[in-house]
Amino acid sequence: MAFDLADRGAIAGVGYTEFSKNSGVSTLTLALRAIMAALDDAGLPPNRLDGIATHRVGDSIPSAVVAQAVGIRDLSYFVDQFGGGGSSHAVVGQAALAVASGVADYVVCYRAINARSEFRMGGTARPAVDSVETQYQAPYGYVAPPQQYAMVAQAYMHRYGITPRHLAAVAMTQRRHAEKNARALMRAPMSYDDYLASRMVADPFRLLDCCLETDGAVAILVCSPERARDLRQPPVLVRAAAWGGGQTLFSNRQPPPGTSSAAVMVPRLYKKAGLGPADVDVAMIYDCFTAAVLIQLEDYGFCAKGEGGDFVLSGATALGGSLPVNTHGGFLSEGYVHGWNHIAEAVQQLRGAAGDRQVPGAKIALSTGAPGYVGGVTSALLLRGT
Amino acid sequence: MKEKPLPVPDRDSAPFWEGVRAGELRLQRCNGCGSYRWPARAICNHCHSFDTDWLAVSARGTVTSWVRTHQAFMRAFQDEIPYAVIQVQLDEQDDIQMIGRLADPGLEPTIGMRVRADFAPADGDPPLVVWHPIEQL
Repeated sequence: MAFDLADRGAIAGVGYTEFSKNSGVSTLTLALRAIMAALDDAGLPPNRLDGIATHRVGDSIPSAVVAQAVGIRDLSYFVDQFGGGGSSHAVVGQAALAVASGVADYVVCYRAINARSEFRMGGTARPAVDSVETQYQAPYGYVAPPQQYAMVAQAYMHRYGITPRHLAAVAMTQRRHAEKNARALMRAPMSYDDYLASRMVADPFRLLDCCLETDGAVAILVCSPERARDLRQPPVLVRAAAWGGGQTLFSNRQPPPGTSSAAVMVPRLYKKAGLGPADVDVAMIYDCFTAAVLIQLEDYGFCAKGEGGDFVLSGATALGGSLPVNTHGGFLSEGYVHGWNHIAEAVQQLRGAAGDRQVPGAKIALSTGAPGYVGGVTSALLLRGT
Repeated sequence: MKEKPLPVPDRDSAPFWEGVRAGELRLQRCNGCGSYRWPARAICNHCHSFDTDWLAVSARGTVTSWVRTHQAFMRAFQDEIPYAVIQVQLDEQDDIQMIGRLADPGLEPTIGMRVRADFAPADGDPPLVVWHPIEQL
């Protein structure tokens, strides 16, 4: 009989560090600060932790070191997954499986990066990421995520008539959300002229199409709903978790232009949850680049293929719209912790704790990982408030 | 890192780069089901046969996307900015797509542009695949 994860794992605590351009501290320190903040948020004594999980691309301290620093004596569960933002939500989904199956009682999941001051993705300070495709791409000067996503965006825009105004609508909508978020790095109002005036990075992407390389960490405490109910915060239940992928250049299964790996995974996510896109009250959509939001809005079933741009232009994804998206400002305006500040914001919305940016009565939230164009894998969570 | 990254053949891809040195675009073709695959790897992802040959292909294709880079993600390419990188779908099989460049850096790529491969000496050895537009009749 299939194991049913629905509502058997809960998020009981959320912790953030400050988001900045230069943390001035190690990734170990960032991890510890976020973890202790999450435990404090939950009201869980540190000596109760017995599991730890993260993902990395050679840019952060190993989780076992963090576990030692926290003083976990009998570590029941550990994950140190190789991967970028596509793995983010899988780490939390796996932790839900671990607590639901009794492998561990309290698993803290986190991502800690000095992505601005130490390890910029595809930047000049580090070699290209170790992948099978690197040898065929780096010699052409094709190494960085903005280029890889721009390649996808160009084909998508060409096929569906998506324009810079559509991309700008994503950035501008999220900036308006960030204006209500004290944690956000970018809070100054953004006009369409501001967008057009920002420098080209990788055509069709301007600077304001790109997320903010950020120093920071986010931690998420996962335990059973029963244990969560004994803690300080209203539990947020993992209604469904899914991870998957497989459609990349490497796979010989190239998806149609503008369709991500997520499209393959999404039916499985909704089926496990017993929910559909119409049930989602608020969504955190992985916004490493503006175009990725449009493609995922389509792949997650909120609008038809090719209509993501008009959907965002209509105001549907703004606070007050039919599906508020990236209410914290997202990676474009709040900061970029490789998927994790999306999970944290989804939890805040379902607790009713999002302040000025609260979506009234939000019960179901979707949060998504990177849609699989670079690492080939993706993951997502459907969360339920209690 | 000032020097351009050169292709680093591995145990799977060495025959591909040997082909490039010989002026041929060689791909693996599965002896089980006849499908092409690329990049190089031991198994066919359709029929799972390990039995494969390297064959020279037409080296013709169509540009399916492109990106013009304005930022020096690698210092070695600073002097070339802005430069265009293209994605080429090979005529042999539509799920084989290669990253590359047009031989003429001044040429504007377009989606749908028909191209043929050429083999240009890079700054070092081995050479790289570059692409010329095919004149449309």
